[in-house]
Amino acid sequence: MRKLILLTTASLTMLAMICVASVSAVEISFDRYYNNDEVTAHLKSLNKAYPSLTKLESLGKTEEGRDIWMLMINNSKTGSDLDKPGIYVDGTIHGNEIQATEVCLYTAWYLLDKYDKIDKVHELVDSRAFYIIPTVNVDSRARFFEDANSYGIGRTARVAYDSDNDGLLDEDGPDDLDGDGEILRMRIRDEYGGWKTDPDDSRNMIRTKPWEKSEWRRLGEEGYDNDGDGDINEDGVGYLDMNRNYGFSWQPPYVQSGAGNFPMSAKPNKAISDFVISKPNICFDFAFHNMGGLIVRGPGSKLAGTYPRSDVEVYDFFGHEGEKILPGYKYIIGGMDMYTTHGDFDEFMYSNLGIFGFVGELFFSEKVEYLPKHEDVEDDEDAPSRSIQKHKFDDFVSQGTMFRDWKKFDHPQLGEIEIGGWRPFTSRIPPTFMILEMCHRNASLVLFVAEHTPDISMKLLEVEDIGNGLKRVRIRVENSNALPSLSRTAIKRDIYRQDMITIEGSGLDIVSGGIVRDIHYDRVNNIDHHPEKIFTHIPSFGKRDVQWIVRGSGKATIKYDAVKAGNRSLTISY
Amino acid sequence: MTQRPTLFLCATLLACALLMGSAIHAGGYKNPEAISKAVKNIASSNGTVAKLHDLGKTAGGRDLLMLELGAKNNSGPAILLVANMEGNSPTGSEAALKLAELLTSEWKDDLSSNRWYIMPLGNPDGYARFFDSPLYESFVNDRSVNADKDDAFDEDGPDDLNGDGYITMMRQLHPEGRWLKVEDNPVLMRRAKRDEGEKGEYRLMVEGLDNDGDGSFNEDGSGGVNPGWNFPHRFRHYRSTNGLWAASELESRAVLTFAYDHPEIAMFIGFGRQNTLAAVSTGSKRGAGKGSYKLPSWMAENTGANPDQMYPIGEIVQMARDAFGNPGLTEDRVLQWLGAGAKLSPDKIDVSYLKEITERYKTFIKDAGFDSERLDAPKFRGGSIDEWAYYQFGVPAFSVDFWTVPIIEKEEEETDSTEITPAKIEEMSNEDFIALGAEKIDSLLKEAGVEKFTAEKLVTLLNEEKMSTKRIAKMLKSKMKDDEDSGADEDEQTLYDYNEKAFVPWTEYDHPTYGKVEIGGQVPYSDLAPDYAIVDSLVSGQLPFLRDLVKLLPKVEIGEVKIEKKGKDIWKVECWITNVGFLPYPTYQGKRSRRPIPAVVELEHGSATILEGDKILSAGLLPGTGGNKKVTWLLQGKVGTSITIDLKGFSAGKDKRTISLKEGGA
Repeated sequence: MRKLILLTTASLTMLAMICVASVSAVEISFDRYYNNDEVTAHLKSLNKAYPSLTKLESLGKTEEGRDIWMLMINNSKTGSDLDKPGIYVDGTIHGNEIQATEVCLYTAWYLLDKYDKIDKVHELVDSRAFYIIPTVNVDSRARFFEDANSYGIGRTARVAYDSDNDGLLDEDGPDDLDGDGEILRMRIRDEYGGWKTDPDDSRNMIRTKPWEKSEWRRLGEEGYDNDGDGDINEDGVGYLDMNRNYGFSWQPPYVQSGAGNFPMSAKPNKAISDFVISKPNICFDFAFHNMGGLIVRGPGSKLAGTYPRSDVEVYDFFGHEGEKILPGYKYIIGGMDMYTTHGDFDEFMYSNLGIFGFVGELFFSEKVEYLPKHEDVEDDEDAPSRSIQKHKFDDFVSQGTMFRDWKKFDHPQLGEIEIGGWRPFTSRIPPTFMILEMCHRNASLVLFVAEHTPDISMKLLEVEDIGNGLKRVRIRVENSNALPSLSRTAIKRDIYRQDMITIEGSGLDIVSGGIVRDIHYDRVNNIDHHPEKIFTHIPSFGKRDVQWIVRGSGKATIKYDAVKAGNRSLTISY
Repeated sequence: MTQRPTLFLCATLLACALLMGSAIHAGGYKNPEAISKAVKNIASSNGTVAKLHDLGKTAGGRDLLMLELGAKNNSGPAILLVANMEGNSPTGSEAALKLAELLTSEWKDDLSSNRWYIMPLGNPDGYARFFDSPLYESFVNDRSVNADKDDAFDEDGPDDLNGDGYITMMRQLHPEGRWLKVEDNPVLMRRAKRDEGEKGEYRLMVEGLDNDGDGSFNEDGSGGVNPGWNFPHRFRHYRSTNGLWAASELESRAVLTFAYDHPEIAMFIGFGRQNTLAAVSTGSKRGAGKGSYKLPSWMAENTGANPDQMYPIGEIVQMARDAFGNPGLTEDRVLQWLGAGAKLSPDKIDVSYLKEITERYKTFIKDAGFDSERLDAPKFRGGSIDEWAYYQFGVPAFSVDFWTVPIIEKEEEETDSTEITPAKIEEMSNEDFIALGAEKIDSLLKEAGVEKFTAEKLVTLLNEEKMSTKRIAKMLKSKMKDDEDSGADEDEQTLYDYNEKAFVPWTEYDHPTYGKVEIGGQVPYSDLAPDYAIVDSLVSGQLPFLRDLVKLLPKVEIGEVKIEKKGKDIWKVECWITNVGFLPYPTYQGKRSRRPIPAVVELEHGSATILEGDKILSAGLLPGTGGNKKVTWLLQGKVGTSITIDLKGFSAGKDKRTISLKEGGA
């Protein structure tokens, strides 16, 4: 299996390289970040260039009236999207994690651009449905580009919240004091401030030892005391974290900060939950974020319990391959290896709707380190600190575009201060020359999972005359892929109608019917009522054998009809 | 058992219900359409004080209406009242309408001090089922749910086979039967006690057919979700009638949105089946902050704690404060890190206020003549609006039911007037009881089979006030009940004693699938809806307590203000921000949930400058009945400079005081 995947990945890359020369209907270069208008324009061009493969839909408006775009990729000539396994991909639920949008956009572009160029992509697009929402937090991502900004702003939905309990909403956020279009950091001279200039690099500050005199106190983000309460920046925009506002095991803000007033209270959450409910064919979802270089699965909290073993095996299959498709990324469990979260999208999809999914954390700081080879310096005490490395990286790789040197400023409330620090787009957002590889590798994991949506086939095992004019018909329904037709949780929690296997034919007289529990020991679980209609599900890389005992002879059609795994049919003679 | 009835009114009500032995039907009660009409009517005929909020339409196309009542210039605290959110409280909706009528007539003056948001029917679809024929007890909305996950929706509901207008039960002698008839009772059934060697005879099923021939009966009826179980405190997943997630339903979402859009709401009142005025809901022994926790690996690393050991929360908070050098780290924040979830019991200081209110309610009920013994109101299910209002919305929340099945004392118990019954003991003072003498007490205990106590011990405990006659009565009663236990469900027996017509006698029926069965049992809604004839007296008699309740709302004021000269043009201003209401502002749980916002004090200092002190500051939590916070400023300004203290109480009123800077001013 492993070899096969390596080969597949290799051939994919080769093909991608071969195709470089060919013409694209829509040209999008993945060497920069696109603002909301540009992303919207790209989606519209893709939709216009591929009318029979795409549908562009606004799922609704955000708090500030922007459209939440969903691009569906489905070949309508090969059937309705609802009859095919669906893959859902979204990004940037935290408005400051902007590169997630590029990954989604690339995935969409790649599937469409390569449709006529790479056979495998052609087949995937013809047999699966893709639902891509490049930006969930449209408002905050748009403002990340438009407003004077810092990295810290923009995780929230644009829902006003009284963070400092004074009855006023969002009245004292950061301000661009020096009018340079960026919110940087403030520091002030202070002998007891806890920080001093790094002797190795004057741009950097390090903590002082308890017996040393300090030089600086750090004052956080640029800003005034806008409301005259004596505090600075104590009530900025929000905070409502849309990735804590989904429905499963939602907890109020005093338990889960950023939860919002009630589940799905943010407009995008409501719009997206309505959308995914309307697409029960979704088998797997990706939600892209940007912290840590991780492939994360749930459970995110103790309240979600532990996941059933058979589902964990499916997760592990994708997680372990994912770590190779994305070198350096780690496959982890959110609630155990990171921190507890309530009301996140991933848990909603899995525990509420029984849909597998990963959170893709795109960026990891090792990417902007300035070191020869990680292993060699692991124990080297003389190795430069992370911050110094980042400065060196900035100096010699990013050509000094990432950091603004400290500059004096006369603050109306604080007196003389200095403003400077790492600029927006430099923390957890990779330099633009790294975008393409990030996009392609992550899209490749999406494609890999898409390849493994349930692929069902039916075959006749036997029609055997068992005497007295009775015949035993046995068929086998097989799934050649890793994703089961329904997750264990979906079955256990009765979330969907199960897969239906029916038999019909003129004059068909059924004596009994049921699922063959053990074909070698001849054990059958007969169905007492309506044996012509059997409800079941097909496991990961597994099968279901079904048997009917019928009277006489004739022709019959056996149909398989699944919510997530499509429809099949088989005609037999008995 | 308490002696009653004390009032003529009450006696009449009981007699009326008893003598008529009324059959159960919705007759008289307003259906959702009529309620909607009545609400619109009140709104349109009281234009100056009333406003109608249309909160949308349900899946069944019914109105979700919120009636706002309040004088135009009234900016006082508001009360959110939602009735019949679960769809199972006919008296609740009637009471809400009655209250709206009273507030727009006899009690109109109340509208100048408080604003009321009254939703007489929170679950119109669910309640509409009360008016269905045949009558079937179900409170879910009209959202279509494929309850049995087959290939059809709502295809197999119950059927009224015997055509009596009620969906009751079917019983059949069957090898799998687990039920027996209750001896000496023609209608009640009870479970066989297998562990006592009893074998069951009957199986019980809901009256109906297997409409879709799948072998299950009535497994997928029409609807839906109960929005009254769909609120986000203690919401339970994976029960189709609760909804997929909290606030998934139009009805619950509409109320939640409305509530958060109205920060002036200071109190919640629910008219449903629960009653927290009769007994404070103490919640669960579990929940965040109770018991011990293991630290997640990152916390263990930072604090040096053993990741495999359980620590009590207090100790963990201390470790975290030390490790992160943050003495202000709150327990709630640490609980969040521990993934401990939500609070499941009310704050104990809040409870002390609520307990006082229950005492006042008891007195009121007694004086009003509504204290006759009746079945206890049920406890909250998870996902109720009432619990959400306290735990998440942060306001004092009260739930009122207006009726449960009255407990009718059996006549034979009263035959011998000299006999000492538990009911008589309950009414006795400690001294009266002791005066019965040791011999008599011992014989009472022996008769009832109480072995734990002797007369001597009881007398000692009574003298030390560690025992009460009430508890003795309860103990004797429960022992005696064991002896007489027919095995019947207590609530069913009580209902039967109250109204025999609440049960359909078992009659034979030839069932197409099962063959011979009998159809009978409890009439739907018979324990939820009293005869309509008594409803007006029930609600009119109990509603006045709400006026008392509203008077307990917190109210913030600027109390004493002291000015002291500290030098030329230097003034020390001291001011006491005081809560003159009975209830704390906010509640202790409200402080935790950061809602409502504590009072804010702002100093408009004019030409004076502030040398010390904050221009704007929060008063924080102000305990009830005189709880206060002292605010101090040091100002520089000329004699006679005028300054203004502006107090915003949000949902606890507001106050403003202008003073001039001078010796002994204010």
